[in-house]
Amino acid sequence: MAKAKKPEVLVVEDEASVLLTYRMMLEEQGYIVSPALSSQEAEALLGKKRFDLVLCDLSLEQNHTGFEVFERVRKRDPKVPCVMLTGYANRETTERAEQAGITVFFKPIEIDDFLQTLKTILRNSHA
Amino acid sequence: MATPLLRKQLPDPGGFVERRKSVRDSTALRLLSAERSEEIFPILLEEILALGFSRALALEVDFESGAVRPVAALKYQSSQLQKFQSTLWASENPLISLLHGLKPAIVPAGAWEREPLYCHPLIYRNRNQCWEAERERRRECLAVQNFRSPQKLQLQEQVCASCGMRAYAAMVVVQISRDCTEGQLRHLRNLIETANRYLARLFKVEHYYNRMRDMDVTISQMHTVMQSMADPVILTDSHHRVIMLNKAAERFFKLPEGVTEGGARAVELNNLYFSAALSSMAVSGTESHRDLTLVDVMEGEEVLFEAVCAPTFTSDGVRSGMVTVMRDVTDLRRADQEVRSNLQKLRDAEEVVRQDRDRLNLVIENVGDPIVVADGAAKMVLLDPLAKELFGMEDNTRHPAVVRNQARLDAYLTAFTFSFADSQNRPLRLHNPASNSEIEYAARSGKIYDARGQVAYTVTVLRDLTAWKKVEQLQLERRMLEVEKFAATGRLAGTIAHEINNPLEAIKNAIYLLPGKLKPPAHPVYDILKSETERVTRIVRQMLGLYRNTDQVGPFDLNSVIDDTLTLFARQLSTASIEADKQLGNLPPIVGSADQFRQVLSNLVVNARDSMAKGGRLVIRTRHLRATDGLHGSVNIVVADTGCGIPADMVQSVFEPFVSTKGEKGTGLGLWIVKGIVENHSGSIRVRSRQGKGTVFKLAFPIVR
Repeated sequence: MAKAKKPEVLVVEDEASVLLTYRMMLEEQGYIVSPALSSQEAEALLGKKRFDLVLCDLSLEQNHTGFEVFERVRKRDPKVPCVMLTGYANRETTERAEQAGITVFFKPIEIDDFLQTLKTILRNSHA
Repeated sequence: MATPLLRKQLPDPGGFVERRKSVRDSTALRLLSAERSEEIFPILLEEILALGFSRALALEVDFESGAVRPVAALKYQSSQLQKFQSTLWASENPLISLLHGLKPAIVPAGAWEREPLYCHPLIYRNRNQCWEAERERRRECLAVQNFRSPQKLQLQEQVCASCGMRAYAAMVVVQISRDCTEGQLRHLRNLIETANRYLARLFKVEHYYNRMRDMDVTISQMHTVMQSMADPVILTDSHHRVIMLNKAAERFFKLPEGVTEGGARAVELNNLYFSAALSSMAVSGTESHRDLTLVDVMEGEEVLFEAVCAPTFTSDGVRSGMVTVMRDVTDLRRADQEVRSNLQKLRDAEEVVRQDRDRLNLVIENVGDPIVVADGAAKMVLLDPLAKELFGMEDNTRHPAVVRNQARLDAYLTAFTFSFADSQNRPLRLHNPASNSEIEYAARSGKIYDARGQVAYTVTVLRDLTAWKKVEQLQLERRMLEVEKFAATGRLAGTIAHEINNPLEAIKNAIYLLPGKLKPPAHPVYDILKSETERVTRIVRQMLGLYRNTDQVGPFDLNSVIDDTLTLFARQLSTASIEADKQLGNLPPIVGSADQFRQVLSNLVVNARDSMAKGGRLVIRTRHLRATDGLHGSVNIVVADTGCGIPADMVQSVFEPFVSTKGEKGTGLGLWIVKGIVENHSGSIRVRSRQGKGTVFKLAFPIVR
């Protein structure tokens, strides 16, 4: 099997420590991680390159939400798989995300389950 | 009239004296040979004629009628005898006058007949006392009295005080010649007197004979009476020896033929008991009675008698024995006993009824709702004090509101009493005089039937629906407040949890990155770090669940919440080989927080899932239990699994916080939160579990119309 190109992953999370641990975990899994601390950073990164997967926290800096980021991602490429992470597990946001085809993970996440799901999503989007 | 015996005329063989003597002897012998008093007069008349008198007759007095008539006559023609028939009251008759005087006399010639008549009155008399007078040492013997002082004939006195004998009176009438000598007359007189002695004797014997006959008749009558008595009668002498007993008594005191040994013993015992009873009763001189238990020899049954004992006396007052009559009082005593016990039962029953009535009155007075008891004709018979205020029983009957209420209640009661329903619940608007306002009552009525199945009474309880609804409203408001409080607590917990959440995420991720970067001695520390962080993670998850910023209280459809929850867990359940079985009934909307119910169901489903590691079946059932009184109902939810169950010693405490059957995996908060939410919705939750079989949670929420 030819060595596949490493997947490009955008991770948006407003807490630096959390962002760092996500980044390290994902890199350990062999992803190329582009970290962003805010929606603006994410916007900038989206303009620079194409991502295979976007991971984003629901609540970002100030009043910004993950949905804004996902909207921009989808504007550029509607097929990019999106995964939302949230600590506020309420029905409305969950329903909204699922309608938009966004996978939702509730914090605190089950890491193994989370990593396994990411793999599956990537495989499905490349198929 | 007796016929005189024919007698051979003896020729006069010698002189008058010899002839007289021989005549006297033979006359005495002839009179002695008379066996009946009737024979005396014919013999006497023959002897008189034998003395040479031409003709003679005997007149007898009938004491019953006072008639005087000839009973014997010689040489008289029957036509001539007619003349002699008379009565004692014929005072003009010279013969009757002589009879009254009881002295012999001569009726001169021409006064009655052409020839003179010798008349000799006779009366029962004797020189010696009769036997009775002699034995009883009495002075009054009629025969002696008549002998001693021949008075004028007194009819009423001619009965003997000693022997009770009625005397006789007669008169011998002899026709004499005008030249009859004194000697002839004396001779005649002696002859008649001798005849009278014989007559008196015979008369006495006949009296005894008649008395004996009478006594025989009396005895046989008495015997018949005695025998025909159903009660045992026993006659005993002064030594308590049995003289006579009737058939009823024989049954107890006489050995029947072919009697068994037991029977013989019974007779023996009966006699013994009777003698003892007799002895004790004989002490008292008068009539006495006592109870006596005897054994019926034939039947072998005990019979209770009341023995009445009366002493018997001879005519001179000497006690001669006893008459005992025994009355079978077994049935009487048994009936008496029964009556007594029935009376006691009646009294007891009365007491029970009284207590019941008091208790019922107490209940009625304390129900706190107006109660109306009406009879089968829908007429009010009993009102409790509250009902009296509404319908008036005393002084407020004229109040217009009360009159209106009465009319409404009458219409209601009439409709119910004559309907086919056993009970009914209807709203009833009445005017409350106390608050001076129209109030809606919920009237609940039931019927009481009598033994024939007719309506005897109806009981109606009125519930103030306005007040009740107010209470319901208050309860709802309080529940909403509770829900709000719980939600606030949840929000606080959620906020804290959320603040912890991000640092926790970092820690968790960091720990995940550690393996391989640690030296072996640090491995146990890593393990602790990992497991304890996971525990904190679970607690935070649970606390996050409490917080829902969309929490709203209002009516919602419970079935759709269940649908959502099962959809959410569908993947997990099928992965764990758990078959989910939904049985959802038609439910009215539930008022409360849908999100909180979602959490309740999530927690229960998660618990069920965790208990069925090897797969199984999860059943969720909902049901609406309709109100039986038109007011109250409930929605019931059952969540059942076929999992490992809860250990018996933990079932009681599963709803307490930080109690978990899942060990390190559980937070011990899930069921505590479930219970909190359920109770906030005025619901109840119960759990039933068997280890290895499964667990059933039953939730019930009241529905108010």
